[in-house]
Amino acid sequence: MSIRFEDVTYVYNPKTPEPVEALHNISLEIEEGSFTALIGRTGCGKSTLVQHLNALLHPTSGTVFIDTFVNASQKKKRDKKLKPLREKVGLVFQFPEYQLFEETIEKDVAFGPKNFGDSDEVALEKAHEALQLVGLDESFYKRSPFEISGGEKRRVALAGVLAMKPKYLVVDEPTAGLDPLGAKKLMELFTKIHEAGSTIILVTHDMDLVLGYCTDVFVLDHGKVALKGKPNDLFGQDVSRFSLQTPAIFDFAFRLEKAGYKIDKNKLNRVEDLAKAIVEGRR
Amino acid sequence: MTSIALGKYVPYDTWVHRLDARTKLFATILLMVAVFLPMPTWSMTLLFQGALLVIISILLACTKTPLSWILSSLKMLWIMVIFLLVVYIVVPKSENVLGIAWSVNGWTVYWDSFAEAARIVARLVMMIMIGTALTSSTKPLDLTYALEWYFTPLKVIHFPAAEVAMTISIALRFIPTLLEDTMRVMRAQASRGVDFQHGGLFRRIAGLTSLIIPLFVSSLTRSQELGDAMECRCYDPREKRTRYRLFHFRAADFVIAFFAAAILVGVAVTSGLHLDFFSMMGVTTL
Ligand SMILES: Nc1ncnc2c1ncn2[C@@H]1O[C@H](COP(=O)(O)OP(=O)(O)OP(=O)(O)O)[C@@H](O)[C@H]1O
Ligand SMILES: [Mg+2]
Repeated sequence: MSIRFEDVTYVYNPKTPEPVEALHNISLEIEEGSFTALIGRTGCGKSTLVQHLNALLHPTSGTVFIDTFVNASQKKKRDKKLKPLREKVGLVFQFPEYQLFEETIEKDVAFGPKNFGDSDEVALEKAHEALQLVGLDESFYKRSPFEISGGEKRRVALAGVLAMKPKYLVVDEPTAGLDPLGAKKLMELFTKIHEAGSTIILVTHDMDLVLGYCTDVFVLDHGKVALKGKPNDLFGQDVSRFSLQTPAIFDFAFRLEKAGYKIDKNKLNRVEDLAKAIVEGRR
Repeated sequence: MTSIALGKYVPYDTWVHRLDARTKLFATILLMVAVFLPMPTWSMTLLFQGALLVIISILLACTKTPLSWILSSLKMLWIMVIFLLVVYIVVPKSENVLGIAWSVNGWTVYWDSFAEAARIVARLVMMIMIGTALTSSTKPLDLTYALEWYFTPLKVIHFPAAEVAMTISIALRFIPTLLEDTMRVMRAQASRGVDFQHGGLFRRIAGLTSLIIPLFVSSLTRSQELGDAMECRCYDPREKRTRYRLFHFRAADFVIAFFAAAILVGVAVTSGLHLDFFSMMGVTTL
């Protein structure tokens, strides 16, 4: 069971004078149980790719397999029942705060579970649980989702998807615009969900997060898969040609190596690892 | 789902695209009037509507508008056709020249009713074609500029031409944005299990609320932001404005304007004087 792209091409505005080919012959596999990052410069097609995962977009050509579900172009044979897929793949959009609409936060979060057939009580229970997860306490339950800050809205929207308990959680730039501690807490939350058995697919521009939390990474460039592998291998090479930045820890390690230190970059993921490596390198 | 054809600009570079927006607006209005002028007999109606249809089709073909757009807007018309037919059949007319279609138990239906309905549909189709030719070949902003230009003389009676034009251009500017917002919210809610196409009435209404409320909120936020941004740049509706893009009439514009005027005058004279070409030539028709 996994997510597999086979030769997927996606074109925006086909059959007009200005078609945009956002994805070009993409083939990749996202393992079940992984914490996969999708990175690449602005406009390289990350958000487009991600929307194929729950069949909001259908490939112009090629096929996407999500477990047993088949997402293909209109002409080809594909699965028609989308609801089970949408329950399985929870997609949190870039700037999800636009999707809020209910009178109270708890009702808004309960909206997803209710759509998938939960009773009001069960849905509310799931909503409370999800809100606790994202760090919003009881005092928020009855408030209007329009009278809270942007970052809090973001968390409510995230809770709205978490409440559905998806098997695959897809998050598109969830930390953009959050305060650093809030971003860190969010990443820790994803790690917790990952450890509980879900597969996480994270779109981000923050390389420190990729190195610190992800198990696999795909670099997209101009609608193609440019690189794939483990974060620790990826950042060992020069990534600036994809408009990416080497994570601060790796940058630091490179400079230390230049100064004569020996550092094992395979286990270098967080600041703690770097500190340990420095201590060990001195001995 | 994404294709809302009516009123969408298609960036080709045909001679119709290059015409001045003012000319195109002028010609469009004249042609629309010409389409709606009544003719004295059915055969004259057929002759003139047919001729206009040919002219309009040629124009539309020149703009390279995909034929499928027109067809898809026509799909919506069939409800209208049925409605018109029912109305014309139920409400009898005093003059009936085309003969009886059927007569059952004293309920007589004349062919005229069908002809009448067909005429209205033909007019609507031509209106849609002319409108599409205009909007697909003219940028919305150029169109507002043309409107403003025609409104300018009204400034004498304190008609706020510039403000109205600004309002229209902002409205036009935000149609694609609003569509994009709609798509985005739809996708977000679809991810949360909303099914906008299937399901019971109650479910679908709940689905629609989840779409409409975020749209209202974001439109209000947007208009607030736009207002603030305009104020920050010292926008004052009463000031005299200059233009970055200047418009000039060219020879082609005069030719087209002349043709449109000639067509309208021809149709108007025929209509006004109740001329019947066929009887003039000694042929009796209906
Ligand atoms: N609705 C649309 N219509 C036409 N083109 C689009 C549309 N959405 C995206 N594109 C184009 O497709 C390409 C990929 O866009 P996409 O949103 O997937 O990029 P992204 O990698 O998510 O970028 P970012 O990092 O800025 O979020 C871009 O070139 C973009 O201009
Ligand atoms: Mg994106």
